[in-house]
Amino acid sequence: MTSTRLTHTVGVRAMEWLWAHRDGFRLDPGVDPEIGFLERFKPIGELALICAVLFREGVAGSRQAELARKLIDHAWRDALDGGRMLVRGQRTEPISPIPFEVYLPFKELGYSQPEVERAAVLNHRLDGWCSFEVPPTRRLGLSAFQRRFGLTPRLPEDEALTATWLARTPEPWTVEGHIAYDITHVVFHVTDWGENPAGLPPRIADYLTAWLPVWIDDWLDLERWDLLGELLVVDACLPEPTLDERAWEAFAAAQAPDGAMPALRGLPEGDPDDVFDIVYHPTLVAAFASTLATSRSLARLATRSA
Amino acid sequence: MEQSGTPSLLKGAVQDLATGVASALSSGGHGPVSGDLSPAAAGADGFAPAAVRVLGADFLLPHVLAGTRPDAAELALFRQAVEAYPPRADAAPTVLWSHWAMRRTLRVLAPDTADGTTAEPRADWLELADWRTLTHQLSVLASLALPGADSAVARVAGKRNLDLARGFVRAVRRRDWLQAAGAGRWLSLLDGVPDTLGLPAGLDFVELMADGDPQVGLQVRAARRLATGALV
Repeated sequence: MTSTRLTHTVGVRAMEWLWAHRDGFRLDPGVDPEIGFLERFKPIGELALICAVLFREGVAGSRQAELARKLIDHAWRDALDGGRMLVRGQRTEPISPIPFEVYLPFKELGYSQPEVERAAVLNHRLDGWCSFEVPPTRRLGLSAFQRRFGLTPRLPEDEALTATWLARTPEPWTVEGHIAYDITHVVFHVTDWGENPAGLPPRIADYLTAWLPVWIDDWLDLERWDLLGELLVVDACLPEPTLDERAWEAFAAAQAPDGAMPALRGLPEGDPDDVFDIVYHPTLVAAFASTLATSRSLARLATRSA
Repeated sequence: MEQSGTPSLLKGAVQDLATGVASALSSGGHGPVSGDLSPAAAGADGFAPAAVRVLGADFLLPHVLAGTRPDAAELALFRQAVEAYPPRADAAPTVLWSHWAMRRTLRVLAPDTADGTTAEPRADWLELADWRTLTHQLSVLASLALPGADSAVARVAGKRNLDLARGFVRAVRRRDWLQAAGAGRWLSLLDGVPDTLGLPAGLDFVELMADGDPQVGLQVRAARRLATGALV
């Protein structure tokens, strides 16, 4: 089994990189309207989600927890201007779910912006908002976020789940890269980002237990670290995580000394903003996978020694 | 000049033989398979025995499954392949086992002329192999995947059905159609394979993607035959 030190270290280094590159989590108020102001919100929402996981699991060391706290404060106060940028985004595109999606993890961490909340409650009443055409996996995520916000999901989560690729448990040899991301995100949503592994229906857990090792093997050999990291999160959400030693060792070895995790093969070179846009996601995923795997590994040790 | 060299000629002869076996599996009848060989391969100095050794026990698979007796020429060629290429003392386990499988086939189809039973080679290397290696090795030994034909290899396959199913998925995804077809043949025979694997459609997919490779065709048809007992 993979050592807890190895999984933990990946996350410690990832947080160091994210803190050192925090200015990359930036909005672009002067953006061409054809590209859209909301384009750059996604990384900030993802950062908040992962920091929330880190606080929740309670396996971070003091330095790592401090960095996460400072990062989330930076994102809220500086990048989002205390939430005012979320309001501005909502005004720019009133029917977009993005400000709500980005806001939710901040709200769960104790930050507040009443105007975004009023917009979410109003939008939830609109058929137009609930009919917004999105892929089934994102629809499931929106339902889960509505529940977490305290609203009744307009599409019940079990119905939303039914429409996803994973819920149909198709032939495992038909998975391709974009489908694999759909799989990982369904698992994130039904388990509330690893908080509630029991949210994974047993039928789907059995399916993943059978076939996840093959997909991990595949994307490991292709050195697709971003996707591999997400698959390692899925592993940590299963009833019996494998904490695959071969995959974790390669994942850790792919990480740069400063903590950056390449998305694919090695790190890119070029304009720092462009590099950030490629590298921030796999590095966040590395922190996420590290936190869950370390937590599961410690829980297993505790069970054994009890 | 690789195209005219011995390796490519041997490969061509193996494919000719595989085409004949696959065809016989489909039709249910069985013509003299050695008749599928080119004159160069079948002549006195030809490499027909080498080609039969490569194909192994599957050369006579249609007879094994149909319970028919090969004609004298086929048996003679098969026996020649068994005797001309005995495994060396340091041969890999798959070589030992494929030779063992040929001798077993001789005992089944021509008991009056075959030698006595031989001890099984060891199979512990398979017990210890990870699921990737297991699948590769079992696929090479697909000729041992037969209904009611016990062997230490078949017992390991039966115990490690999920590992083998994973290996089938891996082989399909890596476009190793021959490995996938061999693994699929074992899986057709085994209990406890997850339904979500989608094996019947998977075998069709492998056959389609292999673009007419006769050795893949042989294994896929054998797999279907093992799964249903019907003509394929």
